[in-house]
Amino acid sequence: MPDVQALVNEFLFKLKKRKIEGSQATARQTAVLLRSVISQQRIPYTHQAAALIDAVKAVGERLVLANPVELAVGNIIRRVLHIIREEDLSLTSVAMAGLDLSAVSDDEDETDQDDHPVLSAAAVAAASRNTLRPPSLQTLLEDLPDSAAVPHSSSSGGDSEGKSKSADKSSRSRKLKHDVIEAVNELIEDIDTCHEQIAEQAVEHIHQNEVILTLGSSRTVLEFFCAAKEKKRSFRVFVAEGAPRYQGHLLAKELVARGLQTTLITDSAVFAMISRVNMVIVGAHAVMANGGVIAPVGLNMVALAAQRHAVPFVVLAGSHKLCPLYPHNPEVLLNELRSPSELLDFGEFSDCMDFGSGTGSPLLHVVNPTFDYVPPKLVSLFITDTGGHNPSYVYRLIADYYSTDDLVLQRKPASVNSVQT
Amino acid sequence: MWRRSASFILDRGNDVVSKPDSITLSPPPTYQSSSMADTLQNPNPNPKISAYYQTRAAHHGVVTSDWLAQAQEAAGPDSPGSDGRSNSAADSGGGGRPFSVIDEFNNWRQQPDLAEAVAAIRALAAVIRASEATTMMELEIELKKASDSLKLGDTTSISLTAGCDLFMRYVTRTSALEYEEFNSAKSRLIERAEKFGEISYKARRIIAMLSQDFIFDGCTILVHGFSRVVLEVLKTAVQNKKVFRVFCTEGRPDRSGLRLSNELAKLDVPVKLLIDSAVAYTMDEVDMVLVGADGVVESGGIINLMGTYQIALVAHCMSKPVYVAAESYKFARLYPLGQKDMAPALRPIDFGVPIPSKVDVETSARDYTPPQYLTLLFTDLGVLTPSVVSDELIQLYL
Repeated sequence: MPDVQALVNEFLFKLKKRKIEGSQATARQTAVLLRSVISQQRIPYTHQAAALIDAVKAVGERLVLANPVELAVGNIIRRVLHIIREEDLSLTSVAMAGLDLSAVSDDEDETDQDDHPVLSAAAVAAASRNTLRPPSLQTLLEDLPDSAAVPHSSSSGGDSEGKSKSADKSSRSRKLKHDVIEAVNELIEDIDTCHEQIAEQAVEHIHQNEVILTLGSSRTVLEFFCAAKEKKRSFRVFVAEGAPRYQGHLLAKELVARGLQTTLITDSAVFAMISRVNMVIVGAHAVMANGGVIAPVGLNMVALAAQRHAVPFVVLAGSHKLCPLYPHNPEVLLNELRSPSELLDFGEFSDCMDFGSGTGSPLLHVVNPTFDYVPPKLVSLFITDTGGHNPSYVYRLIADYYSTDDLVLQRKPASVNSVQT
Repeated sequence: MWRRSASFILDRGNDVVSKPDSITLSPPPTYQSSSMADTLQNPNPNPKISAYYQTRAAHHGVVTSDWLAQAQEAAGPDSPGSDGRSNSAADSGGGGRPFSVIDEFNNWRQQPDLAEAVAAIRALAAVIRASEATTMMELEIELKKASDSLKLGDTTSISLTAGCDLFMRYVTRTSALEYEEFNSAKSRLIERAEKFGEISYKARRIIAMLSQDFIFDGCTILVHGFSRVVLEVLKTAVQNKKVFRVFCTEGRPDRSGLRLSNELAKLDVPVKLLIDSAVAYTMDEVDMVLVGADGVVESGGIINLMGTYQIALVAHCMSKPVYVAAESYKFARLYPLGQKDMAPALRPIDFGVPIPSKVDVETSARDYTPPQYLTLLFTDLGVLTPSVVSDELIQLYL
């Protein structure tokens, strides 16, 4: 069995060198890595969940720092933390219900715990209130003020569990780990199948003889179009080439290969063509908590053009792209500047960029940002693997996937302001 | 001439019938301007005037020009607002009954540091303590009566209504109470109510923590009126060594903005005072607008000091973010569709010169800002988009 530390270091190196392309691949690899971290982690008899959470957080912190712009890493870490808390909670409530019923059977089936005849509903409810539910008006008065929400405190799940006396600790500890790994496997599967899940909805959105515009290339978008095509929809696609990486060319090639009517346009022609377009469908790099989108550069312009002509702007995003953070100054903090060689040939402009001439610093600067921030009001619809959602509904999805304790991954609060992961 | 009139005027039809005798005292044709004339001469406010906004003015506002001295006195019992209220409280409570929830509430309300909802919940706790009920049901009925009379006592205070509703919901809904015997349930209720002050203080701290990420170095923040939460946010930002400057509006008519600028100057924050009409003039220098709220309504919009709507509109035009800092117990089950959908909360306005009785004066103290002009709400439940508010309310009250 390979050493976990070596695996972590290898992944860190890849992240730092930007060797992994695309947020889906990153998300998947993060999940796989965390699964091996969890399976290698020794867990003590008490505070098992807390031990797992600590282990995941320790690794997670380093991963996030390795590439703060790749938000999928942080998302998956938070998802895994949420899974641990959830599994721990369900085990605790099973144990508590079991104690009250005085019919303790340690191999109770995970699935039928919900329809268990629970006598002390209040006790279980109290336990669940402490841990997972995000703070709400409902719990404002019910909870003790200190558990009402101190967002930075690490989970209270471990504590409540440690106190509950149970006879079958050893089996439970094994069970917790087993359940968590099981759930992480499901998460990996979800990430793998998210393209198909999104593509399944294609026929609901693309209609006969429509004209669709997209920019750059995204695997999700490609599969979305193909799914519509397979269902015998005939439609036309305008592909903006997506300078400076020109991935639109690749997309156009793929689409033609699958028999779709395709038109290739330059990015600057988007505004000229948009009046003929029925719908804009694009992929995203990340979806932020307010419904804003971090997307390949150029998309903000497309979104503005679409708004000007009242064309629906639809964003496809797998659920691993949902990020529970708010974008603060996203154009700078959540952006990455790539090499100028994508814009210019070295030979031609090497004179202008010469450090040796005159003032000591080059007169020509080349800025090549990777991402754009599209504000939520420009987005008409998000299509995720769970269906279509309004930008203002994104917070709800986030509340389902993440627990509020995990929003801040760095344990030093001082660094939170400088690097928004 | 036919003018649009809101439904609350129809509801108040019977009130208007009883009006003439008060009008006959002074010759002017409309009673609103008569009340204005009254307030210019004598400090006795008209009973129609909003007690909530009077209290706010007494606590945060600067009514006279030597406002620094006034701020020292805080809310002395001689301020005109508290006078009027203790009179009305004596009227309603002085019927020989030993305990009156309105008296209790007004006592709590006198304290300038106590939020309105906290005062309401403390008052309801006093009802529980004084109650001789022997079953949960009796207690609930008694509480219901008390909260209804509180709400009727001041219909203009949204956080009072919201606080009462929240506590009533807790009493009727909490599953934990069902499993306890009556006396321990009662003491639990009282204990929770007493703790609510702490919860409210904690809520302010959480909001201040959450909003720190949004205040960046070198930014300019426009604030309107005086809000304890906003002050807490800015204080925390100062503690976190953020460098920023603040534009304070004057906040007419009670000039609560002066009070805020005073507090900020104590913290060594660069402050500039603006008259309320200078907002559009300065908006291009502003990076964000930060306001508090008297109430957050179901649409996600806010009800706040007069002028907030105007500022939000200007900020929206110039695409500046508008942030609202409000504790979650200010969420209220109201759905105003326009400005005139709420009963106006009237406040006397001092123009400095006598106003001729023929001139009508707009004396409403608050306005409604629709959600599309707000960017985010900072609450103790987290940083929310306006649409989350209705979600939270539905979860609580359905």
